[in-house]
Amino acid sequence: MNSSPSPLNSSRFEGCTLTGALSVLTEVRDAVCIIHGPAGCAHHNFSLLHATLLASDRFEIPRLLSTNLTENDIIFGGEEALEATIARALSLSPAPASIFVLSTCIVETIGDDTEAVCAKPRSVPVIAVPTAGFLGGVFDTGIKNALLSVASLAGPGKGKPGLSANLIGEKNLEYDVDENAAEIARLIGRLGITINLRFVRGLSTHDLARLGSATVNILREPALQAVGEDLQERFGTPFVDSFPTGLSGTCRFLEDVGRACGIDASGAIADERAYQEEMLERFRDMAGSQVSFQTAHPMLGADPVAETVCAECARALDLTVAPDGVFVPFPYPSPVGTAGLRRMLHGWRILIRG
Amino acid sequence: MKQIALYGKGGIGKSTTAANLSAALAEDGLDILQIGCDPKHDSTRMLMHGTWIPTVLDLIREHGDENIAVDDVVYRGFSGVRCVEAGGPEPGIGCAGRGIIATFQLLERLGALKGDVIVYDVLGDVVCGGFAMPMREGYAQEIYLVTSGELMSIYAANNIAKAIARLSRRARSRCTLGGVICNAKNIEGEEEMVAEFARRINSRLISYIPRSRDVQVAELNRQTVVEYAPESDQAAVYRELGRTVYGNQETSLPTPLEMDELESFAFEFVQV
Repeated sequence: MNSSPSPLNSSRFEGCTLTGALSVLTEVRDAVCIIHGPAGCAHHNFSLLHATLLASDRFEIPRLLSTNLTENDIIFGGEEALEATIARALSLSPAPASIFVLSTCIVETIGDDTEAVCAKPRSVPVIAVPTAGFLGGVFDTGIKNALLSVASLAGPGKGKPGLSANLIGEKNLEYDVDENAAEIARLIGRLGITINLRFVRGLSTHDLARLGSATVNILREPALQAVGEDLQERFGTPFVDSFPTGLSGTCRFLEDVGRACGIDASGAIADERAYQEEMLERFRDMAGSQVSFQTAHPMLGADPVAETVCAECARALDLTVAPDGVFVPFPYPSPVGTAGLRRMLHGWRILIRG
Repeated sequence: MKQIALYGKGGIGKSTTAANLSAALAEDGLDILQIGCDPKHDSTRMLMHGTWIPTVLDLIREHGDENIAVDDVVYRGFSGVRCVEAGGPEPGIGCAGRGIIATFQLLERLGALKGDVIVYDVLGDVVCGGFAMPMREGYAQEIYLVTSGELMSIYAANNIAKAIARLSRRARSRCTLGGVICNAKNIEGEEEMVAEFARRINSRLISYIPRSRDVQVAELNRQTVVEYAPESDQAAVYRELGRTVYGNQETSLPTPLEMDELESFAFEFVQV
């Protein structure tokens, strides 16, 4: 997966904690996110989230408020501005069902006690999310902290009839986030498992009560291990640490999910293998072609997962890897499941046919 | 116009020294502006006969910086000394250093930074860039370190020398060390010790201010010594300090001591 970035990838994955956290929190649709800092911190993120929503044909406005700090707030402390903005959020119509408060570089620098302001009793939960701009870590840290903060709104875990899974930490800024979720739903459907909750995508605060009732949690990527462990401790839900990649990786995923749920996955795996064969059959016309895998962009470092996925598919389709072969970029990010591979192979075919 | 800044450990007597220095210079007919750069805002109080003048930052907080005039922030005290207090946020919140920067920007915009001498009286330690503001381009060109013979006080003075050395390396910087002022605590061999410290950091002792009861009595009467006891020896010391500083042409770039140098310096002078 692409969450353990080499320094070359840092502009993409070591960005602001605030952006990472907001990519999660704005998917709690009836919540308001307050960015405690200068207007610019909210503006950049608003623009990014709004553009991402539009790209997915979702005509929504991210529910962000800024405390709009200016120099005087920095000199005298910004806690009063935060109080006022929380009051403003509570007075919105429709009123938010929950409020998340994110701190920025400057308020952490001057020592505003965001948590203490949030801790006052109010009519809806007001959750301080540890972000603090660069002082709080990087983009990935923001995602992790946001997931853990949202989890604090979940009720006690109650088992529900039937097997179900939560998807944990989907990358909401990724282009094919919904296709990837659909692929997981198809795969675990082979095991008779349904999706309980997409944590966090398109939820209401009320939905969060269901967080503890899944049979298994499926993490988007291994970097979310700490979140998986936290949820396991809190609700006793076992977790599988990543969405699947590659042909054999996808079968191994079914095995892992089956093991976590205490069910035999061998039938499902056999069915998926057959399905993969059928999928590969449609790309046999590429057999014998020479390809040369290269990094998709000089800014990206090596991704061993993508390399494994490409080598495996090349073998399965009898492609020859040669230095003067057709240039084929390593996928970025790595494709999810068999459906992801099919989309990748379509791309390969276009390149090979020229 | 001469702009000077007094720095030194908290409680060492910077404000007393600054106020008496300003008073002495004003008596000589000079136009003096004293700016207290400390959230405690007590730098100019003796010049103002015990009155706490509104601080720049209190005014900004209450009225916004658009609605402040020169007369709101500058107050005339003893002998016409113009007094300004920067002030600061409530203790424990916000950022006092940024407050100093905002104060300077406002004073510049108001055209208040003028006169024959501007005396900046700055918080004990240069804890952040904000409190180094008076050392920056366009403000004080001469820094005076106020210290006693106590080690902690010399340690603080050495630290400030580090800030001066750092800032003076910048292009266009005009910040230099004007000298060291010994505000005595009646320690044995104090004058020699501070004079030697001054030499080792490439500076010189420009004034030795003996400890005097006159200072306390004058402060209890909410006045500077120069005003309360103009005939006293102590007042004469402050007048001499004023003439020395005003006429000082000899400044230097300090060479602060390393920690081990400072420690061995201490061993030489302190009787164990």
